[in-house]
Amino acid sequence: MAGQGYEHEVKFTKIAIIFSFISLGLGGLFGILQLLERTPGMPQLLDRQQYYTALTGHGVLLAIVWTAFFIMAIAVHVVSRELQVRLSRTLLNITLLMTIGGTLVAAVPILTGDAAVLYTFYAPLKAHVAFYLGAGVLILGTWVFAAAIFKAFIEWKRKYPDKALPIATMGVLTTLIIWLEATPPLVFMVLKDLVPMALVNKPVDVLETRTYFWYFGHPLVYFWIVPAVTLWYFAIPKLLGVEIFSRQMAKVAFLLFILASTPVGLHHQFLDPGVSDAAKLLHTILTFTVASPSLLTAFNILATLEKGGRKAGGKGALGWLSKLPWGNPVFAGLTLAFIMFGFGGISGVINASYTLNYIVHNTLWIVGHFHLTVGTAATLSFMAASYLMVPRLFGRQIYSERMALAQPYLWFIGMAIFSLAFHIVGLFGVPRRTYDVTYAGLAPPEWLPWLIMGAIGGVVFWFSGVIFLANMGLTLISGRRITEPQPCLFTLDFSRLPAATRLDSIKFWVGLAIVVILIAYFVPFLEIYGRGLSPAPPVTPEGLRLG
Amino acid sequence: MAEKNELMQEYIWIGIIIAMLTTFLVILGYVSEAKGFDTPSSAVTCDVRQVRKGEILTPGVKEVAPGIYEVNLKARMWAWIPNSIEVVNPKKIIFKVTSEDVVHGFQIVGTPVNFMVFPGYIAEIQWEVPEDFEGTYLFVCNEYCGLGHDTMWGQLIIKRE
Repeated sequence: MAGQGYEHEVKFTKIAIIFSFISLGLGGLFGILQLLERTPGMPQLLDRQQYYTALTGHGVLLAIVWTAFFIMAIAVHVVSRELQVRLSRTLLNITLLMTIGGTLVAAVPILTGDAAVLYTFYAPLKAHVAFYLGAGVLILGTWVFAAAIFKAFIEWKRKYPDKALPIATMGVLTTLIIWLEATPPLVFMVLKDLVPMALVNKPVDVLETRTYFWYFGHPLVYFWIVPAVTLWYFAIPKLLGVEIFSRQMAKVAFLLFILASTPVGLHHQFLDPGVSDAAKLLHTILTFTVASPSLLTAFNILATLEKGGRKAGGKGALGWLSKLPWGNPVFAGLTLAFIMFGFGGISGVINASYTLNYIVHNTLWIVGHFHLTVGTAATLSFMAASYLMVPRLFGRQIYSERMALAQPYLWFIGMAIFSLAFHIVGLFGVPRRTYDVTYAGLAPPEWLPWLIMGAIGGVVFWFSGVIFLANMGLTLISGRRITEPQPCLFTLDFSRLPAATRLDSIKFWVGLAIVVILIAYFVPFLEIYGRGLSPAPPVTPEGLRLG
Repeated sequence: MAEKNELMQEYIWIGIIIAMLTTFLVILGYVSEAKGFDTPSSAVTCDVRQVRKGEILTPGVKEVAPGIYEVNLKARMWAWIPNSIEVVNPKKIIFKVTSEDVVHGFQIVGTPVNFMVFPGYIAEIQWEVPEDFEGTYLFVCNEYCGLGHDTMWGQLIIKRE
């Protein structure tokens, strides 16, 4: 059966995936509550404290916890099966202990309203120290996880030194490398500044801490996107029964993600004082560089889709589209997520252009943008992957295939409405993260219809999420048991694996990435530290000044 | 043969990507240069405690030359000081803004004025006011700054005579 020979890997995957589903449910509930609250004319169920608590929970649970746990689950599955290696049981157990423990420790102050600082936790707004420590332990746990994966990978590499990297494994390694590039400075800053701030009211420099946060904040985006890209590269060709259009281009894309996903954080700080135009321009150019692997992916997947459609008998310029297996929930979910990724990429390039960014900075446009990327490209892909993986992992058939098929389309439609409305109303200047945007009746009247449209779209894709989780829950409890053995999707015949080329030597690219990161961040940090820090004492979200 | 064709397609697409991104960057550079666009990159730091005592950056509106206004603003949980700014026939407004407590965001709705406000730093930005801008503009805080964030707003009144 599914777990044969991989007992503790399967156990890890099951626990991580269930924990990710719980986070998705709770994060989604917070999401819908705060969305309705902030929309005039909708049911207002929260006070200010509860609104910002819900918003913090929504961001942390969905952007970090749901994604990290699902990615860990799928990474273990992919690497152990594709490379046919065992992972260290001890390291996996420590990972679960630290990541789940850290999450629970951080969740307590969030739920009690003692960490209403949102998921960006900009200092000197102060949260309870457990929030920073819990988040820190969660991140340290992911490092243990990375160690488990790399240990197994190195064992495989010793056995097969001349073989090319299998594509899904390369995606997992890319994801983890980006994560390891991004997180150490964040942990350093949290320990150096935020924990002492929370404990003994140490004043901290706003620009310094923000720069560390966004050093992490943008590669975080690729930590979400690269696993989705990996799923498209891996599963879409399989579902279509064709080879991927270009294996080389896929690998080049991964290497470019490794190279350029980190040294771009200043594009979140275009409107910060204290950072020079030159540093901002450098990060703009690098941001355009990291757009290129996304564009390569767009072409590669589209060409693969065309190949599959033509193989199924599709003719003409667009005839192949209708021959694609749109009735398969896994295919529909992955492909609709891929389409939304295209739109998210377009608004992303707009955000990265500092001459346009000041129009959309901190408005609902940004919210519309990242609900296309993390909220659809990643999330909907993970949902589609669940339809593929959950039956194999738990030995039960999906409870309702019809619910599974309706769900991605409903998500797509809801997200299209939501995201379009939020992009437009963002151009009109509605700020994000705000409890009440009526401003005592002074808000421009043209905001209202778009805000309501956004809320309607939000309700639609939230409902799709409810269908997804209900279907998963019912599958686990009462899905029909699968008795016949299921072929493992990831099993490879190593003798048929091509020889390694330069595209398989990740080490070189990691080295290059470190050089680029050092150059790109040397400039702003020279400015920040050269000028001298200007620390500000902490203040609670209630407005209490501490020092 | 088919493989060669596919390789060609790959190269064409890579060419398109490079051309596209380069074009975007060139336009960005041109617009930035032609419009004299600058980001709020001023490198002026200040002591938060002195700002709280009112020793740095006296809030207020001053016409330093005909049509040239200097607006000193202070951000505090949860108010802009001053929360009403009136200018007559402005050509250019120079904003100097700092915060007494946490991070805020200054945004005048319906204009391109939008930048971050930090305690410990003085953000400075210049806005060339187009001639057709007239009337009352709402300005808000667009960065979450604590529970009263949504109550932090004010009005800019542009009069034409």
